[in-house]
Amino acid sequence: MTSNSSADHQSKREFVITRLLDAPRALVFKAWTDPAHMKHWWGPHNFEIPVCRMDVRPGGAYRIVMRGADGVDYPVKGIYREITPPERLVMTMDVSEHSKEWHDHVKPNRRPDETNPAGEMLMTVTFKEVAGKTELTIRVLFESVEIRNSMVKMGMTEGWTQSLERLESELKKM
Amino acid sequence: MLADPLTATFSALADPTRRAILARLSQGETSVTELAEPFEMTLPGISKHLKVLERAGLIARGREAQWRPCRLEPGPLKDVSHWVEHYRKFWEQSLDRLGDYLKELQAKERKQRHRKKSG
Repeated sequence: MTSNSSADHQSKREFVITRLLDAPRALVFKAWTDPAHMKHWWGPHNFEIPVCRMDVRPGGAYRIVMRGADGVDYPVKGIYREITPPERLVMTMDVSEHSKEWHDHVKPNRRPDETNPAGEMLMTVTFKEVAGKTELTIRVLFESVEIRNSMVKMGMTEGWTQSLERLESELKKM
Repeated sequence: MLADPLTATFSALADPTRRAILARLSQGETSVTELAEPFEMTLPGISKHLKVLERAGLIARGREAQWRPCRLEPGPLKDVSHWVEHYRKFWEQSLDRLGDYLKELQAKERKQRHRKKSG
């Protein structure tokens, strides 16, 4: 049962982006699942991909390293959860290996031990055929540990927990 | 006359509506209106329960009006949206490149097919 509690709703965020690509579905799917293709498009402009390892099967791992013009590497890694050609891909995405400077930049107020600002992300990519073209949709579900922690910090939950602890210790005395 | 903490807690928990309120609040801060929703109770009715819970130290209420919406600390939320924007840029550019790359690929394919035909 998926929980619709406000805690879940608030600690999880979904990011969605859609593009209509002028290419058949099978080709787009190939671009996503063949490292020989992947390294030609993954990443921002002016980035190259020195490492592109993909074990495209459920449970298989991928590792893609983007390198900027300044020579700094940005590794992205994850595990494939579902592969359904030519319509759907599900995989995790982990940017914890990005540099400390990058983490500082995107999340200046993070805790020193926090290296994954958005937690582990679950990415679902769907390929829908639309008149010979492909509607590509990327949905990323990520849980913000920070949001979850800040909710736990909130007075009400803590107050209740503390009270129940007090109750528990009182009961022990009885 | 103040009841001892144990009595106050027990009597606070002795009511099923109050237990349900606590269960709901354990999932996150919310407004009095939202709390009242699942019960067919008026806002003053819910407020009575909230007072009991507050006196027992089981909940904390702000001094603002009843209409306190669900609120997260702005700090963490700001960090998350900053990250999301950064992430969106990554995808906008990657998909731009994917679009260009697919055009290239198909153009190559067409050339090869054309050569085969005329070869």
